[in-house]
Amino acid sequence: MMLEFMRNKLVDVARLNEDTLSIHGVLDDSIYNLELDFKVNINDLVCSAIEGRWLRWTTPQCPQALTFLKEADGFCLSEGIDNKIHKTVGRRACRHFANLFIECAYAARETVKLLHWQEAVENEPSLSFKDFLEKDSVGGIPAADVMEPVEPVKKPEPITSPVVSEKSSGGVSSVADASFIGNDGKSDSTGFVIDLHLHTSPASPCASSSVDAMIKEAKRIGLDGICLSDHNYVWSPDVVRDLRKKHDFLVLRANEIVTEQGDMLVYGFYEDVQGIIKLAELKKRVAAVGGFVVAAHPFRGFLTFGADDVGLTTEKAMAREMFKWVDGVETLNGKVTATENGLAQNVAKGLALTATGGSDAHDISTVGTYATTFEHEINSEEELLSALKEGKCRPVTFR
Amino acid sequence: MSNNILKFSMNRSTSVEKINATCLRSVCRLQDSFTDAEVAIEVKMPDLEIVAISGHLQHVYNDEVKNLDERLQKVIGIRVGSGMLKIIKGLMGEDKNLEQLVYMVEECCHGVILTLTKKVLLKAPDDEAGKFAFYSKMVKKNIRLYDRCAGFAKGTPLVAELEAEEGGEKA
Repeated sequence: MMLEFMRNKLVDVARLNEDTLSIHGVLDDSIYNLELDFKVNINDLVCSAIEGRWLRWTTPQCPQALTFLKEADGFCLSEGIDNKIHKTVGRRACRHFANLFIECAYAARETVKLLHWQEAVENEPSLSFKDFLEKDSVGGIPAADVMEPVEPVKKPEPITSPVVSEKSSGGVSSVADASFIGNDGKSDSTGFVIDLHLHTSPASPCASSSVDAMIKEAKRIGLDGICLSDHNYVWSPDVVRDLRKKHDFLVLRANEIVTEQGDMLVYGFYEDVQGIIKLAELKKRVAAVGGFVVAAHPFRGFLTFGADDVGLTTEKAMAREMFKWVDGVETLNGKVTATENGLAQNVAKGLALTATGGSDAHDISTVGTYATTFEHEINSEEELLSALKEGKCRPVTFR
Repeated sequence: MSNNILKFSMNRSTSVEKINATCLRSVCRLQDSFTDAEVAIEVKMPDLEIVAISGHLQHVYNDEVKNLDERLQKVIGIRVGSGMLKIIKGLMGEDKNLEQLVYMVEECCHGVILTLTKKVLLKAPDDEAGKFAFYSKMVKKNIRLYDRCAGFAKGTPLVAELEAEEGGEKA
């Protein structure tokens, strides 16, 4: 057996003085070699004096990452900081520095627990480390809410609250609910174009534009409608009906649900599903209410970073377990490569599954990049479902 | 104060080897002042599906993970790639004493991705102009890299060609 890749990460923590830790991290792998040094205040876990060094890197621009490491100065390295590190150090500087920084933050927290236990032992010599932590589960680290705040998780506002209530115990709402939401009769003789896949803030924590902004942009660029497909989120029919009236624009509901086989767009299914659901189970529940399951970006990330060298043919792709359980395939998705969309198109054609398109927009700049055009005007979620089931639609490049 | 004596040390190593024509084995080992752990996955090509997993975890103060093997086996069948972390977390659970194992499964998966990345990067020319062209082409082919790090940030040289083409298409 031949070693193909190796990554070693080493983190050391020393105590500089009464109040300060000195952290040194090294990441050395087959591609990169980088180092981090910084200080951490023992009392509040706030870091400072971050310095990075590259020893090996890839692109000519990688050295620029060092400038942005300073943005993490002042971060409090309490539990839950990892996402903030990914979003700042990872996005602005380099994901590999972020990876090492997260290891260093873990090491800092563990060290502070150890130091606080050692202090406690001076007064209570028989106190074991485990007993100390059982008494004080955070090891003397102040709770996050009294420390410099970590970027808050965005929570949906009341106006967009999901339709769960009495149905959250497993019951499902009827597809007939879909008829609540309709259009005022706008028509387009060249085809009726709907962006079937987009996200809004705060319903999708990863999105950055509000639903009103997304609707305005969709209307401005000439789409006939949009379908709100926030992650594991069910829009209230009343809220969506109000949005339609407010903007005089077709707004429909979908849901992008995470399964063990990847993300699935579901139409005509309004159960609040949280966590990971098995695709087979999701299909069963959606079918029970007459809904429609579309495999969202089914090859996202398959054909990048050399994965296209591994020999994934259309035939092999068609044999994937996922395609036994879906009714359609998203063959134009705005967040994947042309090659990945191309493979999805081949699979949909090979398996005779309905093909759809959607922008997967998370902000207004990409609304409508791809969409789905329907043969006939769509006025409600019921009509959308019928058109999808009859295959009276096709994906289009719109913007 | 003995400030040159370490209070805490951590060493995490991830290695990936090819075990046959269609299978990679990725192993992540962790040893730190409180922890001794290992996770190994086997990933089948071409669709990078996890087909086997094993692991152990010993920790000084966390309670033993009950049904550790059962928890690990839940990730069998998932695909290494975009969106995998939320699936791994969702399937294995987010208990406090499982955090390290979940992280190590993720590290194993990153090892697989980086193995494939390395093969692509080996094709980069040595000269600066060639490298520049190579990475400009890479970001055009893999649009998800755009504005995701300093190297491919908006308005920077490696994405200039991409931005010019996008601007041209919009115009």
